[in-house]
Amino acid sequence: MKSDVMPAPAPGRPGPSAPAVPPGDTRDAAPGPARRPPLGVRARRGLTRWLLVLLLAVLSLPFVFPTWWMATSSLKPMSEILRRVPTIWPQDPSLEAYGRVFTLQPFAQQYWNSLYIAVLVTLGTMLVAAMAGYAFARIRFPGANALFVLVLVGLLVPSEVTIVPLFRIVNSLGLINTHWPLIVIPVLGAPAVLAVFIMRQFFLGLPTELEEAGRIDGLGRWGVFWRIALPLSRSALGAVAIFTFLKSWNLYLEPIVYLSSKENFTLPQALTQYVDAYGGPMWNVQLAATTLTVLPVLAVFLLAQKQFVQGLAHSGLKG
Amino acid sequence: MSVHHIRNRRTAGTAAVLGTALALSACAGGTDAPVGEPETPSEPVDLRMTVWTADETQLDLFQSIADAYVAENPELVSSVKFETIPFEDYTTALTTQLAGGNAPDLAWIFESNAPEFVSSGALVDLRPVLEGTEGYAFDDLVPSALTLWEDGDGLYAYPFSNSPFAMFVNTDQIEAAGQPNPVDLVADGGWTFDAARDIAAATAEKSGKQGLVVRDFDYQSWENLATVWSGWKAAPWSADGTQCTFTDPAMVDAMTWFHDAVFTDAAMPAPGTTADFFAGDAAMTITQISRASALDDSFQWDIVPLPEGPAGKQNVVGQAGVGVFAAGEHPDVAADFLAYFTNAENAEQLAAYFPPPRQSLLNGESLAAANPKLTSEQLEAVVVQGVEDAVTKPAHKNFAKLSETVRAELDALWVEDADVEAVLTDTCAAVTPLLED
Amino acid sequence: MATASAAVRRDWLVGYTMVAPVVLGSLAFVVLPLGMVVWYSLHEWNVLANTFTFVGAENYQRMASDPGLGDALLATVWFSIGLVVVNIALALLLAVLLNQKLPGTTTFRTFFFSPVVVSLVAWTIVWSFLLQADGGINGFLSVLGAEGPNWLRHPTTAMIAVVIVQVFKNVGLNMILFLAALQGVPEELQEAARLDGAGAWRRFRSITLPLISPTILLVSIITIVGSLEVFAQIDVLTGGGPGNSTTVLVYYLYQQAFRFNEFGYASALAVLLFLIVLVLTLLQWQSRKRWVFHEV
Repeated sequence: MKSDVMPAPAPGRPGPSAPAVPPGDTRDAAPGPARRPPLGVRARRGLTRWLLVLLLAVLSLPFVFPTWWMATSSLKPMSEILRRVPTIWPQDPSLEAYGRVFTLQPFAQQYWNSLYIAVLVTLGTMLVAAMAGYAFARIRFPGANALFVLVLVGLLVPSEVTIVPLFRIVNSLGLINTHWPLIVIPVLGAPAVLAVFIMRQFFLGLPTELEEAGRIDGLGRWGVFWRIALPLSRSALGAVAIFTFLKSWNLYLEPIVYLSSKENFTLPQALTQYVDAYGGPMWNVQLAATTLTVLPVLAVFLLAQKQFVQGLAHSGLKG
Repeated sequence: MSVHHIRNRRTAGTAAVLGTALALSACAGGTDAPVGEPETPSEPVDLRMTVWTADETQLDLFQSIADAYVAENPELVSSVKFETIPFEDYTTALTTQLAGGNAPDLAWIFESNAPEFVSSGALVDLRPVLEGTEGYAFDDLVPSALTLWEDGDGLYAYPFSNSPFAMFVNTDQIEAAGQPNPVDLVADGGWTFDAARDIAAATAEKSGKQGLVVRDFDYQSWENLATVWSGWKAAPWSADGTQCTFTDPAMVDAMTWFHDAVFTDAAMPAPGTTADFFAGDAAMTITQISRASALDDSFQWDIVPLPEGPAGKQNVVGQAGVGVFAAGEHPDVAADFLAYFTNAENAEQLAAYFPPPRQSLLNGESLAAANPKLTSEQLEAVVVQGVEDAVTKPAHKNFAKLSETVRAELDALWVEDADVEAVLTDTCAAVTPLLED
Repeated sequence: MATASAAVRRDWLVGYTMVAPVVLGSLAFVVLPLGMVVWYSLHEWNVLANTFTFVGAENYQRMASDPGLGDALLATVWFSIGLVVVNIALALLLAVLLNQKLPGTTTFRTFFFSPVVVSLVAWTIVWSFLLQADGGINGFLSVLGAEGPNWLRHPTTAMIAVVIVQVFKNVGLNMILFLAALQGVPEELQEAARLDGAGAWRRFRSITLPLISPTILLVSIITIVGSLEVFAQIDVLTGGGPGNSTTVLVYYLYQQAFRFNEFGYASALAVLLFLIVLVLTLLQWQSRKRWVFHEV
């Protein structure tokens, strides 16, 4: 699309700054005086920098506007939401829709369902993927490659493909309308495979010296894993956590198929239930509920992103 | 069906998990399950009915009727549960339940799926139960409302909702454009599709908004055009569903009229332009009267019957049915419950949301209670006369495929310089093999 | 094997224990269901009529004469290529820009990431408004003096629209991965190259790109797998149209299974889809030695 802009990075880069300072924090991280470039060059760089900021601002429009529209539309009446040319700010903002979010459905219960399922799935996936990733990367046991390929198959199967047989399996176990299939299948089945893959790549890139030191200190395989490898993999685990949490939080097809009573619903499914007597969506209530599901996740990301990006940068994901 | 039978189904399911019986051993159909006076099961059963409404007041009403049934028949049922599946994913989730061997006892069914469900043998024949239930007054049911749900002598679902299509008009906009009020035209007998088009075009030009919107069509769900082409007595295929009739002169005329109304007269929104009548974006809209609930007081509006076409006036209703699955665990008990759920007394309660197919309840007065936004005169004119002799939107036992194929073919029609006859010929060529399936 | 010492065997046992959950899980929730799908694909299965008849390879033979499938495969190729190329290019561009230590970077990073957490359905609905003939996008273009197309009603622009909407939704995740990779590129290398007189583009190509190539591999795998799960987007935006231009294989499969009740044929399509992804991924994996800087 705009790949012609790609060579632009270097001009704005100040001298040899300390490595791995998170990008958000560097406004005051001025380059050391010894390497300060001449004034003319600095001015040119300053201009380029502001042009780049402008470019970023323009680029962020298509990302921000729909989210903005969603949040502000929850304050609008139905007729204003359906305007062909969207309004930027509600003409007559009202919080009424937010009240109805909670009176029409056990929304707090549904929020809790989504939250605890996502947390369990995230923790479970981190553990399972870290163990499997470590074993596939470090331990040379017979059949390891074959088993790894077997696991990788899960990466290649879209959920629509296996939903019917999975439903039959879950049904025959009597687990329809329970949260079990939404917890166990993601942790052990196809959705976990990407996490296993990421963890394996991470451990492959991790220097072995520390672990060898651990072994010399008398730690067994489990000890090395728990006390040395796992703590070192915090950043990769962070990536896995974010992927997994978002995936579980937004899961849609599976809850619709497996769950049938409102008290058991998860959020994406609950959002579809804000409809009027004739099946027409109550947009303002739906969007209010959607906003309530999005903002906390966004807030957590906003708070944690520095650690997250920095952590990833130190992880094996870079190669 | 007996408990023993259920246990067998469970066993088969477990075997499938063990991988030994990937075959669907539980597939034997129950289509010939005896239905009549339900045999008292060894212990009361739990019934489950899938619905697409998520409206609490509706669900509360259903539950109160169901609880009364449970109280009257404690030896038959211990509970009835209503399970909401989101509207958009309703058929997907229902099909998955069926495929997974977890059929609900009763289910709401979309009208477009009706022939497919009716002819499949998946549903049990309700006629013996309904006729045999004391005080049901089967003869009170409007025969034309049942047609879609019948196969031979059997009635495979009960059309609990019969909402006629009508024209909502924004009288503020029409007046501002100096156009005649459709209500007056109806009185004079001048309420035709041509008149509607002209008013729509003039009003749209004046208001800068849109004219006439066939709601939910959106150049995708073409079956909603039935409300238009019925005025030409046109139909997509023959009544027996074997012959494509898109190329019949009536259909060609109707589609040409529609195409020109969009592209020549600008009386309707062009493809890629949506306009919501209820948000005040359009002068008039064809939709079901139940949508009146979406109106607020932001503009003056009225409701009139569908206009007359060259072939006269044709009423169209949108329906929804409820049926009993043969593969459910207790079809006979479920059918008995359905007879209770829709008996004259309960149908009157349900009429608060769903116009029933009962002659005795189809009067302006009963319906006005259900539709607070409409007067009993409006309802009398639109609903009572609208349900009589009404046709439904096109349906076919192969409808899903037909719907998709026709949609793809008609996309060629929705451009300015389309050759209507050629597109419809192509449509028939694509559709004919599916009709013969 | 028989010569393995007790210590080595103990190590094996730890290995097996560690991979046991995911291996058993894969057997139960991936391999078994896939096997069931293969079994279904040999049958004509009408869920409604409750018929399940063995038909051998009939469903596979039917593929050869199904014109809809050809269209779907073509649409899939365009969609996936478009998605992967645009997504990775944009993700890389954003990451590079965000790595410039410009003012406001944290805010912009949050902006670009925000669609990732937004509900897919809400996201798609907003875009379907914006892409109308007289919607926000064309309104914006007309301010710039350009006349926008009727995006969702022409085969080419409809495909572009579906790709773009999907890219904006998910590019933030890839951007974060690239950003992390860029921050892992040692400053000293860049600096050394700069002293050697290498220009910005040259440095990017010769140093940055090779060093982050493992991330590009990972991201492209994630993106391709993601491109297979485009259902809601296509359903809301185009319904597979106009004509069949945006009916990709997954959408086609979904239609066959859940709209047309052709579970047997849909299962055969699922097997085909699986094989295609398998071959693609193997090719990608094999080719990594040629373009990924150091084997991971």
